[in-house]
Amino acid sequence: MQSVGDDLISVSVADPAAAQALAAGLRDTGLWIEAVAGIDSVVVRFDNAALSRHAAREQLAESMATDFKCAEKSSKLVEIPVMYGGENGPDLPAVCETLGLTQREFIALHSGEYTVDMLGFIPGFAYIGGLDARLEIDRLPQPRQFVPAGSVGIAGGRTGLYALPGPGGWPLIGRTSCTLFDAQSDQPFVLDAGTRVLFTAVDTL
Amino acid sequence: MTIRVVKSGLQTTIQGRPRIGQRHLGVPASGPADPLSMALANRLVGNSAFVPALETTLTGMSLRFACDAFIAISGANAACTLNGSRVAQHITIAVQKGDLLVIGAATQGVRSYIAFAGGLCAQQVLGSDSTYLPAAFGGHDGRALMDGDELRLKDPAASAALLKTPPEFCLPMRDTWSVRAGRSVETIDVEQPERLFSTKFRIGNRSDRMGIKLEGETFVTEGNGQMPSAPVFPGVIQCPQDGNLFILSIDSGTTGGYPRVAKIARLDLHILGQLRPGNSLALLERSDEQAAQELREKHAYWQPWLPDISVGPIL
Repeated sequence: MQSVGDDLISVSVADPAAAQALAAGLRDTGLWIEAVAGIDSVVVRFDNAALSRHAAREQLAESMATDFKCAEKSSKLVEIPVMYGGENGPDLPAVCETLGLTQREFIALHSGEYTVDMLGFIPGFAYIGGLDARLEIDRLPQPRQFVPAGSVGIAGGRTGLYALPGPGGWPLIGRTSCTLFDAQSDQPFVLDAGTRVLFTAVDTL
Repeated sequence: MTIRVVKSGLQTTIQGRPRIGQRHLGVPASGPADPLSMALANRLVGNSAFVPALETTLTGMSLRFACDAFIAISGANAACTLNGSRVAQHITIAVQKGDLLVIGAATQGVRSYIAFAGGLCAQQVLGSDSTYLPAAFGGHDGRALMDGDELRLKDPAASAALLKTPPEFCLPMRDTWSVRAGRSVETIDVEQPERLFSTKFRIGNRSDRMGIKLEGETFVTEGNGQMPSAPVFPGVIQCPQDGNLFILSIDSGTTGGYPRVAKIARLDLHILGQLRPGNSLALLERSDEQAAQELREKHAYWQPWLPDISVGPIL
């Protein structure tokens, strides 16, 4: 357990699936204001006016002793057509140069089936793991102030789908026309942790 | 029974209660960037702290009332007029049908809050009236107000006692600020940690409801500045590879991959809403235990005027 700040505690976990299971279990206890999963950690927020850090840590330790079940893998498969490169993926040339790949090789390696590790960042943003090791690349040194909706980025061995326009720090390699978040819908989130996605290369959106 | 937006200003939004408990879906808090100032405005018109109100940004705005209403203005220091005559901030104002209210440009601080007895009508999305601009939802069509917009009162018959915020509860606006903060998970390079709490930072131009850029010193974190995406919250200070610190604010994303080197303590988060480009900012180091103790003291201080201060919670 580590302090993230005065009212936040982080615990390390093995992988995204374990983080999702623990965070969901902690939310179900109703003891935490927020319980949010990261890739390899879970952070809880507690009311530090009412609960001492010591008591919060004890409560967290007790909750963690429970064996939270990993969620059943969703059978849903969502196809995501991606237009790679050009103005839709402005960083693709630089990414290919860094990785020593042609754009054609990059697209062949990137398209295919993956599983969503988690949602986060902004509504509908999906972290999708399982990238080929040859596509490992760093985030941009300074985030962009504006990334268009539907942008597809990669960083740290994952693909990130930007459902909404906004700032973003992942090198952009393409864009999809799929609507990934719809605030007006009863089910605003198209993807969830565990959802399978299929990236297919297309020439037009 | 409407209120017409004559001049909408740089970025005026309807804000209400923050969204709590949805960060695991990537849904940020939103709500007022300075919740204490919004609570003070709502208090003067008999509303609870997060009843939907207007939040302006730097330039101010103006409203033409097609109905009588009780309103109050708090937050940034700004010259305000009603039909051309100066009106005070931090008091209840009885506005009459036909009146023109002008909120002047902020001279200190960034955001003014205009509260209305009974509150404004707003679109509720994901359990809150608050506008979240990046996803264009909540508030008034999910967007900042535009000239000519018509706002509606939830309860046009709502009245309010004429009150004045006691001087000890008027939040001072400044050019030089300090906020209490503590260290976070990822560590600043071993030779630099003291600098974090001794530097006088300058608030950068790239500052908004998403976050605030700190200028003046750059930092290096242990490791290469890359890490697996991890949960973040308003107040967390990130250190991207270029070394310029960035404070996450009320609309910030829920996870991020830049090292978290410090966090502003909960009790001073409301100040983020008033930090203006060019202002200076010092981080005062507090342990988590000290921060909790000072939070309880701050709650006790505000309790007599804002009974919801800790249960709302406003802070």
